[in-house]
Amino acid sequence: MKAMTRKSALAAAALMLAATGLAACSGSKDEEGSSSPSSASSPSASASASASATESAYKDKYDPPVTITTVWGVDPALKFKNGETIENNVATKWALDTLGIKIDSLWSVTDTNNAFVTKMRLAMSSSQKLPDVVTIGTGGDYDQLAQDLIDTGAFREVGSLFDQYANEKWKAAMNLDPNVWNPYTRDGKRMGIPVLDYAYNHDYLLWIRQDWLDKLHLEAPKTLEELEKVMDAFKNQNPDGLKPNQVIPLSIGFKTTMNTWMGDPSWVFGAYGTIPDQWNKAADGSLEWGSINPAAKQALQKLKEWRDKGYIPSEAALWDENKTSEPAVAGTAGIIPGPYWMSGWPLQDTAKNVPGAVWKPYAIPTGPDGKAGRHGTNFTSGVTLINKNMEHPEALFTYQNYLFENLADPQPGSQWDIGVFKGYDYDLDANGNPVYLDKIPGGEVNINRYWLVKDGARIPDAQMKALLKLADGNEPTTRLEKEVKNNYGPETPAAAKVLLSQPDISYKDMFTGPATPTMTSKQDYLKKIEMQTFNEIIYGKKDLSAFDKFVSDWKAAGGDKMTQEVNDWYKSTQSQ
Amino acid sequence: MRYLRRTWPFHLMILPALALLIVFNYIPMGGIVMAFQDYKPWLHISGSEWIGLDNFRALFEREDSLQVIWNTFLISVFKIVFNLLTPFAFAILLNEVRARFLGRTIQTLVYLPHFLSWVILGGILVEFLSSDGGFVNRVLHELFGIKPIFFLGDGNWFRFTVVVSEVWKEFGYGTIVFLAALANINPSLYEAAEMDGASRWRQTLHITIPSLVPMAIVVGTLSLGNILNAGFDQIFNLYNSLVMDKGDIIDTFVYRTAINDGQFGFATAVGLFKSVISMVLIVISYRLAYKLANYRVF
Amino acid sequence: MYHKTLPYRIFNIVNTCFLLAVALMCVIPLIHVLAVSFSAKSAADGNLVGLWPVDFSTVAYEKTIDNPVFLHSLWVAVKRTVIGTAGILVVACLAAYPLSKENAQFRGRSVYAWVFVFTMIFNGGLVPFYIVIQSLHLIDSFWVLVLPGLVNVWLIILLMNFFRGVPKELEEAALIDGAGHLGILARVYLPVSLPALATLGLFAMVWHWNSWFDGLLYLSNKQDYPLATYLQTVIVSRDMSSMSFSKQEFDLLSQKTINAAQIFIGALPVLIVYPFLQKFFVKGLVMGSVKE
Repeated sequence: MKAMTRKSALAAAALMLAATGLAACSGSKDEEGSSSPSSASSPSASASASASATESAYKDKYDPPVTITTVWGVDPALKFKNGETIENNVATKWALDTLGIKIDSLWSVTDTNNAFVTKMRLAMSSSQKLPDVVTIGTGGDYDQLAQDLIDTGAFREVGSLFDQYANEKWKAAMNLDPNVWNPYTRDGKRMGIPVLDYAYNHDYLLWIRQDWLDKLHLEAPKTLEELEKVMDAFKNQNPDGLKPNQVIPLSIGFKTTMNTWMGDPSWVFGAYGTIPDQWNKAADGSLEWGSINPAAKQALQKLKEWRDKGYIPSEAALWDENKTSEPAVAGTAGIIPGPYWMSGWPLQDTAKNVPGAVWKPYAIPTGPDGKAGRHGTNFTSGVTLINKNMEHPEALFTYQNYLFENLADPQPGSQWDIGVFKGYDYDLDANGNPVYLDKIPGGEVNINRYWLVKDGARIPDAQMKALLKLADGNEPTTRLEKEVKNNYGPETPAAAKVLLSQPDISYKDMFTGPATPTMTSKQDYLKKIEMQTFNEIIYGKKDLSAFDKFVSDWKAAGGDKMTQEVNDWYKSTQSQ
Repeated sequence: MRYLRRTWPFHLMILPALALLIVFNYIPMGGIVMAFQDYKPWLHISGSEWIGLDNFRALFEREDSLQVIWNTFLISVFKIVFNLLTPFAFAILLNEVRARFLGRTIQTLVYLPHFLSWVILGGILVEFLSSDGGFVNRVLHELFGIKPIFFLGDGNWFRFTVVVSEVWKEFGYGTIVFLAALANINPSLYEAAEMDGASRWRQTLHITIPSLVPMAIVVGTLSLGNILNAGFDQIFNLYNSLVMDKGDIIDTFVYRTAINDGQFGFATAVGLFKSVISMVLIVISYRLAYKLANYRVF
Repeated sequence: MYHKTLPYRIFNIVNTCFLLAVALMCVIPLIHVLAVSFSAKSAADGNLVGLWPVDFSTVAYEKTIDNPVFLHSLWVAVKRTVIGTAGILVVACLAAYPLSKENAQFRGRSVYAWVFVFTMIFNGGLVPFYIVIQSLHLIDSFWVLVLPGLVNVWLIILLMNFFRGVPKELEEAALIDGAGHLGILARVYLPVSLPALATLGLFAMVWHWNSWFDGLLYLSNKQDYPLATYLQTVIVSRDMSSMSFSKQEFDLLSQKTINAAQIFIGALPVLIVYPFLQKFFVKGLVMGSVKE
């Protein structure tokens, strides 16, 4: 075994386990982790890696079993069968049997109405024991909780562990975007392992009523100018015979932000060269708050024009994301910006309300200078923290390496090709053919939420690759390909292709660090004057020059200071 | 000693409530000190840094602090007043309905909206009050020729809408207390007035209303405890960027700044500030009720 | 007789019509919500439902009810409501009775009153409260749903004010008969305070039935949730900007119909009980007992 490369050893181990159900291979790993080609390795990380005293501790199976304690925020939608619970189910049993890892739950809470964050903070406040391993999501309150947990000092630096123990597949996935470590890097130390997610999930494109385009003999718009012609035709010569005041040519809303995930207006700004409500890389390489870029002024003028002409909802300022989807589903909207998976939900319902309605995905149109832009999606959906006092931190890698090897993108004929747990995410019919979803006796359960780390193991570009393959007319062969074919709407592969036809216009929020001091004290106020000014301009309550006043107010009221802090942080992540 | 022997049952009867209050209310009140700390959950109260009045400063030093406090005060005062007067008047009117079945049906129907959540009502109101063909604007236009009103997108109308919709949702529930008080009025008072030939209007003026006033004072005084709670759920679901200046209240502001960042210290400080204001107002109104109406509210 | 006069008759008709109109205004949104709850998801998502269901469907109710946890959560809710309401009433009666006495009769009552009212206004927040709950080992216990809410100061003060209206003659007569304070409370005060007790009971009941946050925070096992907490977990509300999807989640994303159904499942028991409570709003109880 020792002569084999690390990767093939793992693969062999996996095969053996699969074939025999026995953990015959318990040989300790060679200390070769530091030779990884990881570009993310930092000087301090490799220093502590060589200082590590537990280097031979990594095992493919632990005998006697080791225990990993954790806490759970249970997805409210998650179902259990056979009387199982999050603490004790088919996946925990598998971990114990196959890897010799006992998952021990300190507590769990159904994660609705922010319950997990609240409970975690209360647990800290009341001196409860912190878990060995905990995964925190991203977005909303989770980001701050993750930063707070790192601040407690109870969790250890993990970069060196990652370099040492993570397998090639995992490292390759992590290297797709070196920025994923940024939010959890403190003074050059990587304090948490980013949880990888599928890329582009919330990048959006334009969904347009193809049946309307066809009846009007119009081409899909490529520029804002062409878009205006289409919107005008949708409104004033509606092919379904709707009166002009019944049609919403472009369904967008901005109740609380100009940058969201559905019914989003940020591409209008993108057409002039900025993305609002996030930190973009400016021409000089520094980070800049997108809303104060002069391009935003032009975009606001355009939005005002569109509102005056009735192209966008007259009450767009009151509309949140779900509200923008209502006219789209009802069949009275012609265009809605949204993610590539929207044909699965909610747009597939349009045809039920208006027979013959067809939505097709189209690229984001360009502005007068040929610019285009949309907000990008980060590749992470959370972070995994490891407790300082955890006796066997390498056991987490035993667990995750196995999943990256076997679960992330199982190839035809491999162990988990047709499914993971029989009777849970798949079953076999009388002829031995796999069946899924409702055909599984007792129904399907989403076992991906049973894993110690949220969603098990995901390789960011795997889903897009699968979709592109399907979009080119290939039959699905791998499990992931079959899954996306079954799970997502009919237009999803095509939409994915459209999305990836514009890979360069996707701008991610470049600031992912912990809130800076000025951010904590000022950002809410700054956001408030921004949204107020923007809306007053769009609604014609103030003229366009109000934008310039907003920018100077913004800078004076703490915006400049915040920009400085953000750039200091950014430099600190770049210099490692 | 004789005195004690006489009142010991009283003390004993209060004991269960008192004991529970000490355990579940007074002991946790120790947490109020967090208002003066930069509280970090993992350091606990004992280890967190004392920062004096910094948390209060954070509340008052924002450019829009006074505006937000004023919004809160204004909206909640109107809510308190109308949440008191509407059930009061409604209970009296309902009491006059002769057909018993009809009265009970109305009583049941008006208390139904209490069970709707603002998440749902928010969606309904956006539709119902739309300036672009919403029901209310259509009616106003057809009947009075009024131009469409942007109820939820104009600051002043937003405040109005918030108060009216809150009263609409809760008045039926509030009516119940007054109905119970009406049931407690001594019927012989009415019989005597009847003998004197007093009209129903005079009976209402001289018997019904005075009998309900003590209850109104009690409910009103206690509702002063909410003087700086303008209704988080409602505002949070209805407000938007167009009305931020006139519709933002303390609770939504704290939610956006403190809860997201886990600033327990700041949230506690704001809570303490609200409590102190409420306490002062309650003491004042207690004194006033005692001096003017010779009535002890509690 | 005033109600035979013409002006009063006119007033009565106008008044009744007015109140009916107000009642109608209160019911229409509910009818809309009811219609949404029985509509197909596609129609609800398109906001096409008015006051009548579109493409009638009971899926929203099935999704909510068709869960082994549902029946049990219903049972937990009934248990907490019955025990909790009874407890609140007992504690409130015991406390309101002495507080309703004059200062001269019960010196120190004002101190008690302020000690009570103080807790309505000041609180230490969630963190210390949680620590108390934890040190009492109430986490994951059914009693965490009942004990902390047993003292409802608002209701005690309400009841106290009702008790003050009880004629002193009744009490004095009982005292002469040698009754103790508990006896007076039970035999004199309570029988004439039925409207007040019904009101209190209703408020306590509605509060208990609708409380969900305590269950979510202090109970970790979904099996132990009361109905209101369980209903909170049926609706998947979360920040879409940070999630990725599976097929099952797509189905749950549309919450409108389930959200609507939840209102009725949650409110129905209280609505059924209400008409029965109205029977206790009997006029003249106080006077009747004086005459005896």
